[in-house]
Amino acid sequence: MHAVLRPTLAELESKAVWLALLMLAIGLHVFEAALPSLGPWFKPGLANIVTLLALLWMGPRAAVILTLSRIVVGSFFIGTLLTPTFVISLAGGLAAAIAMIFAWRILPGIGPVGVSLLGALTHMAVQFVTVESLFIRQPALYYALPPLLLLSCITGWINGALAGYIAGRLPDVAIR
Amino acid sequence: MLTAEYVSRQSFGRLLLGRPTDRLLLLASLLGIALSWTLVRSHVAAGAPLAEIYHGQRLLASYLLPQKGQPAVHFMAEGDIGRSEIILDEDGARIASSPCLSQRCVLSGPHRHAGDLIACVPNHILVSIRGSDDHRFDAVVE
Repeated sequence: MHAVLRPTLAELESKAVWLALLMLAIGLHVFEAALPSLGPWFKPGLANIVTLLALLWMGPRAAVILTLSRIVVGSFFIGTLLTPTFVISLAGGLAAAIAMIFAWRILPGIGPVGVSLLGALTHMAVQFVTVESLFIRQPALYYALPPLLLLSCITGWINGALAGYIAGRLPDVAIR
Repeated sequence: MLTAEYVSRQSFGRLLLGRPTDRLLLLASLLGIALSWTLVRSHVAAGAPLAEIYHGQRLLASYLLPQKGQPAVHFMAEGDIGRSEIILDEDGARIASSPCLSQRCVLSGPHRHAGDLIACVPNHILVSIRGSDDHRFDAVVE
């Protein structure tokens, strides 16, 4: 008779937390798409708070998979799946997640605010590089980048503080 | 790896201050942004306000932005998925209609400041604003 391999309670809790974070991230992704735009490809990055929480609580792998899933499912809901908007969002989101993982692993003394700041700046810069290299192919595009990077600094900083605040008040959620 | 420091129960105000490393990163980022902004401004703010319309790398047209009382300019830009209608008037440059699905370019409204841009990514159309009203005249003589 074969032994039935059942997941442990800790594994089930981990999956439940990840799914809850994914639902929250998708909701924020859809909400941000409905917000009026402050500039080309600029969003407050609220969904990035959830990526940062996944990174803090569950590690790099969970954060990257959550980002990928959030962009694919979120784009499906807002009707941009496989459009240029999806490609731009995917490139920016993945680059931001990877930048946050590297910052979190490599930079000594960095906090959630610094990690989020680097994520927001990377997100904005990579979106511009993606648009310029894949779609519009016009360097004049970069003229609009500095003010949008400044806005990214502000939102990234605030989002990092929000992620730190949430992580501090839900310490029991921490997995691993 | 999750550390106790990350989940310490700090007030939001204290979290907003960040750690010394965070503040150092912010300072470096702001310096980089200020430098690049200055460089861009010096490059695009020269001359009278001008709208350049591109399809990809190709410059389709460039027009001086009309001032108050001057007639508006209508331009049809042929893009990858159809025609985008661009209007230049006293409010600035705007995309009035475009064949894209999201219509974000249309909703972004008029732009008049040096360095502003309007992009219709699916149609590969870009409207870039250069110059400012301060430089409309190179010289005034009596």
